[in-house]
Amino acid sequence: MKRWVPLALGLLALALALYPLRATGYGVRVMLQLFMWIALAQSWNLISGLTGYVSFGHVAFFGTGAYASSLLIVKTGWPWPLAALAGGVAAAVVSFIMGWPCLRLRGPYFAIAMLGLNEVLRVLTSYYEGLTGGGNGLSLPTLYASVEIYYAMGLVAAAVTAVTYLIVTSRFGLRLMTIREDEVAAEAMGIDTFRYKLYAFVLSSVGAGIVGGLSARDQGYIEPISVFPLIMTITMIVMALFGGKGTIWGPVLGATVLFAFQEAVWARFVYLHQLLFGAIIVAVVLLMPRGILGVLQQKYNLPRTI
Amino acid sequence: MAAGGSPILELDRVVKRFGGVAAVNAVSLALTPGRIYGLIGPNGSGKTTLFNCITGVERCDDGEIRLKGRRIEGLKPHQIFHLGVGRTFQVIRVFPELTALENLLVVTTGDYEAARRRAQELLALVRLERLAGEFAGNLSYGQQKLVEFVRVLMTDPELILLDEPAAGVNRTLLNELLDAVRRLRDQGKTVLLVEHDMKVVMGLCETVFVLDHGEKLAEGAPGVIQADERVVEAYFGR
Repeated sequence: MKRWVPLALGLLALALALYPLRATGYGVRVMLQLFMWIALAQSWNLISGLTGYVSFGHVAFFGTGAYASSLLIVKTGWPWPLAALAGGVAAAVVSFIMGWPCLRLRGPYFAIAMLGLNEVLRVLTSYYEGLTGGGNGLSLPTLYASVEIYYAMGLVAAAVTAVTYLIVTSRFGLRLMTIREDEVAAEAMGIDTFRYKLYAFVLSSVGAGIVGGLSARDQGYIEPISVFPLIMTITMIVMALFGGKGTIWGPVLGATVLFAFQEAVWARFVYLHQLLFGAIIVAVVLLMPRGILGVLQQKYNLPRTI
Repeated sequence: MAAGGSPILELDRVVKRFGGVAAVNAVSLALTPGRIYGLIGPNGSGKTTLFNCITGVERCDDGEIRLKGRRIEGLKPHQIFHLGVGRTFQVIRVFPELTALENLLVVTTGDYEAARRRAQELLALVRLERLAGEFAGNLSYGQQKLVEFVRVLMTDPELILLDEPAAGVNRTLLNELLDAVRRLRDQGKTVLLVEHDMKVVMGLCETVFVLDHGEKLAEGAPGVIQADERVVEAYFGR
């Protein structure tokens, strides 16, 4: 890596660490959400960008983390940072149970199975009212901790990106990519594709689960439709695709650009912004399916460390 | 290495059906270590299916496949690979968005630096060292074929299955590739290759198996096979 890169990253981290001292409450909340989207897009990238197995229900892990950590906070009084980590563990358990059968399915069937998982979890949380409050939702005790959650969210986004860096620059990461490139050849070349897919899948669920737990604490109230919405899966997919799936910084770039765009347009054109978002999806898929960094990587033969 | 006499690979009445069609029908053969074998036959005679059965890509419906005396039918492809069976594909299957070098590195286990050195040596062997950092998908057809060939050699397999290694490779490189195959044989490796180029088969192989409609039609030295009326008939009709 070039010498200025760690320096630039260090400065960026410092600026972001100092930001809450000067920022308004609104500013902190906006940045906190940006971190959340970076972590989600990056988590999706770990399984789908690298192995090519499109998880069309990745928000299921966000929701799992949200419910697991909220229940721990409400029912047993766990402190929220610990509860959020437990949310990550819960997501890992669900992804393992789900991945065991479903990762034997090929591409499109896996995508649909994941879509189904999300719907099932949403219905289950609605149905078991005694535990989850059902459609009435679950209220968390009042707590003003936006700044703390801002730091926690930032750490998760950085951690998921760091993990992606470690994976992409390792032989493990190359093996994941062979699954995307040609699964039959990967198997024939000695790669236990099922096991690698399962590792990547479980790993990709953890960040989403923790972020779900943090987001639930930040919102103070969750209900099935607010933590299992399909649109969140679509948004994280679009962010990763836009920036460049399978790259390290693509999801970060995509999440930042699209989230900034959403925030800027959202306030003024409530309906138009969805239209524009749709237009961006179409444009990305048609014009640059590799995303911004993917195109640059291919064109200038950039190293994998972007 | 197995002793000279005992076969490295034995197929015993292997059957593979697709619906009602027996793509491979009761094929038996045995490969002795340190020899080059050819597998020929008209299109659709079951050559690639037989490769797929040996490497676990397809599960055979009946019969036994033994590698060094151990039954391997039912094992997964990656398990069979780690028992020392490497292969190339008829249709190129490099990993297009991995570089040529990464294509080689990815199949290795153990020391990464040693793997990197070996990968560079092997790329140099097929004159691709300058293209090591290029995405494999950007290489020419022949170059991709060569990447696939040396990728097999990365893990030093004892049995190497080559599915039409000569197709699309220019004469100069082809000769080097054939030399490489002979060197492998001299190192005690066993090679089984499917090839349509009869010159290649006749010049390289010590024993040739002929498949037709999924059945083994003949087996023998190249000269004998070429003179066999049934083989000529299978290729050109009566």
